[in-house]
Amino acid sequence: MMGYGRGRALRHSRFQWVLAIAAIGAAVALPVVLVSVGGGVSQHELANLENAGYQIVVSAGGSHGIAGAHALSQRILSVASVTVASPVLSVAIDAFAPNGAVSPVLAEGVIPGEFTPTLGPTESGLFPSPLPLGDPSDARHYANGSFDGPATYDVLVSTPLESAFHLRIGQQLLLSQSTNRSLGVEYNITGSFGVPPTLLGPTGAFAILVPLSDLQVLTGYGAANASSVYDAADTIQVAVAGSVSTNPSALSNVRDQVQSLVPFYSVTSLTQEAEQLQSASAVLTGFYLALSSVGLTVGLIFLALVLLRRVEIDRRSIGIRRALGLPAWSIVGGIMREGVYIAALGALAGVLGGYLVVESLARWATAAVQEAAQLAVFDPVILSAIVAGVVGLSVLASSVATRAALRTEITEALR
Amino acid sequence: MTDEVRPPLIELARAARTYGRGTADEVHALRDVDLTMPPGEFLSVEGPSGCGKTTLLNLLGLLDTPTTGEVRWDGRPVGNLSDRERSRLRLTGVGFIFQRFYLLPTLTTRENVELPMRALGLPRSERARRASGLLKEVGLGGRERAFPHQLSGGEEQRVAVARALANRPGVLLADEPTGELDTGNTRAILDLLVRVRRDRGATLILVTHNPEVARRAGRHLTMSDGTVVRDVREA
Repeated sequence: MMGYGRGRALRHSRFQWVLAIAAIGAAVALPVVLVSVGGGVSQHELANLENAGYQIVVSAGGSHGIAGAHALSQRILSVASVTVASPVLSVAIDAFAPNGAVSPVLAEGVIPGEFTPTLGPTESGLFPSPLPLGDPSDARHYANGSFDGPATYDVLVSTPLESAFHLRIGQQLLLSQSTNRSLGVEYNITGSFGVPPTLLGPTGAFAILVPLSDLQVLTGYGAANASSVYDAADTIQVAVAGSVSTNPSALSNVRDQVQSLVPFYSVTSLTQEAEQLQSASAVLTGFYLALSSVGLTVGLIFLALVLLRRVEIDRRSIGIRRALGLPAWSIVGGIMREGVYIAALGALAGVLGGYLVVESLARWATAAVQEAAQLAVFDPVILSAIVAGVVGLSVLASSVATRAALRTEITEALR
Repeated sequence: MTDEVRPPLIELARAARTYGRGTADEVHALRDVDLTMPPGEFLSVEGPSGCGKTTLLNLLGLLDTPTTGEVRWDGRPVGNLSDRERSRLRLTGVGFIFQRFYLLPTLTTRENVELPMRALGLPRSERARRASGLLKEVGLGGRERAFPHQLSGGEEQRVAVARALANRPGVLLADEPTGELDTGNTRAILDLLVRVRRDRGATLILVTHNPEVARRAGRHLTMSDGTVVRDVREA
C-alpha cells in the first residue's frame, strides 16, 4: 500500500475509501438482487414446467382460438403414445354467492377425466380425485356438438373463494358471463380445490372449475347451428406415455404428429418451453447486468478519482520513491493493490448488501414481492463472477492513477 | 564500513537545462556546463540561491535530463537510458541526501533505511542487519522503531544519510545536507559523510551555502546564473 500522510490527510483518504466502497457496493448490490430474484423466479417456473403432468401444449393465437376442442382432443388421443388430451377454456365470469357477495372469478372449463392426469405432483394433491363434476368425459352434455345433452351444473370452487364467500359444499352458486345476474345459471358446489401456497403457482386464487361444455354454453363459446359447431378452448394439454415423456426425440416425434393434425395451431413441447424460458432468463440476466453496469461505471469512475486524488496527495512520496530508484512496478503495484482492495471490499459489501436487501424483501415487502424474494437463488458462480468482474475492472480504473503516478516528474514532486 | 565500491567517472558535456522552454516563463537553470568528476572525488558546489546548484545535482544523479548536452557515466551517455535503466542506476549507484530529508512519514526509521534495499531485493535478514548497522553508525541505534515525526531535525537527517548509504552507492549526492541543522549536528553529519567517502572511496558531491562545510572538500565549484564561474582543486 502506498504511504499515507499523517492526521488530516489520512482521515480524508479513509473517508474517500469509504465513499468509493459504498459506491461500488451499491452498484454491485443491484445486480445481486436482480439476478438472484430473477434467477429464482425463473428456476421456480422451470420447476413448474418440469413437474407438469403434460408434455405438449396445443394453442392458438387470439382469444379462445381453438375451435372444435372436443373433437380435436379425440383425434389427438388417437396419436400413438398420447394418453391424455385435455382441452382447457379459461374465461373471466362473475360469481354471485348465496350471501349476496359478487366477484369476478377465473373460470376454467375442463373435461374432468382428462384434466386430472395433467396435474403435476404439486397440484394433484390439491384437487379431489376423481373430480366431482358429473360426467368424466363431458360427452353427454356436449352430445356430439349439439350441446343438447343434460348438463350437470356442478362446480368446484377454490378454497380462497370458498373462504371469502363463506361457501359450503351443497350450496348453489350463480355464475354469469357478466354482472347481469339475470343471465346467470345456478350451479351446485360439489367440492373445492386448494391453490399452491404461492401466487406464482399455476392456479389463480379466485377460481372455479366447471365442465368444459358448461362453461362454453354459459359464455357463448360453445354453440351449434345448422351449418357449424362452435366448440372453443384456449389450449389442449397433451400427456404422453412415461417412456416417451423422458425421451426428447420420441417426444419431438409425437409433437410432430400432433402438429400434422393441427397445422394452423402452435404445438410446443414443454421441453421447448423450458428452453425458451431458460433463454429468456439468460437474456434477462444479461439485461440486469447491463443495467447495473451503469451504476458500476459510476462506481469505478469514483474509484479512479479517489486513486487519482491519492496520487496527488502522495505526489511527494512517489517522487521520493522514484528518486531513490524504486522501480515503477513497485509504485504501480501499490496503487493497483489499493484499487483492487477497495473494489474487492466494495464488491463483497455489495454482495452482502444485496443478500440483506433480498432477505428484507422476503420478510417485509408486499405479498407478491415477498414470494418472489423467497424464491431468490444466490448462485455462488454468478456472485463470484460479479465480484471477479468488478475486481478486474478496478485494475482498469487504477490504471488511470498509475499513469498519473508514472508521469510524475521527480524534480517537480520534490520541490 | 569497509566495503570498497567503484565509483564511476562522471562527465557533463555542454549540459544545459531550460525550464518552460518556448514560453514566457523560460528559465535557463544551467547553461552549457562542462564538468569531469574522477571517481572518489569530494566536490563542493557553492553559489547563491537559484544559480543552478540543485539542477546540476539532479543531472548528475539522473533525476533529470539535460535539455541539451550530455551526461556520461564511465563514458556512457545516460540520456538515452530508459526510465527503468535510470531507476536501476539510481538505486544501485547513487545515494541521495536531501536538504529536507524526505523520509517517508508512515515508515519507521528502520523501514525508511530498508526501503532501497527492499527495492533491490535483498533478503529480510540482510536488510535488517545492514539497517541496524547503519543506524548505529549514525548514532540512532535505539531509534529504529521511531517514526520521522518523533525525531529531531538532526536525527531525521542522520536517518536520511543512513538511507543514502543503504545500497552502498558509488556516488553520494548531498543537497545542502546541513542547511537546516545546528552547528553540532552539522559537524556530526559532515564528519560522517567524510568518513564514508574516505572508508569506501565513494564520490561525494555536496551542495552548500556554508563555507565551513565547503572547506572540507577537495575540489570547489562555484556557480552563478547557471554557469560554473570557478573550479578549484585543493593542492
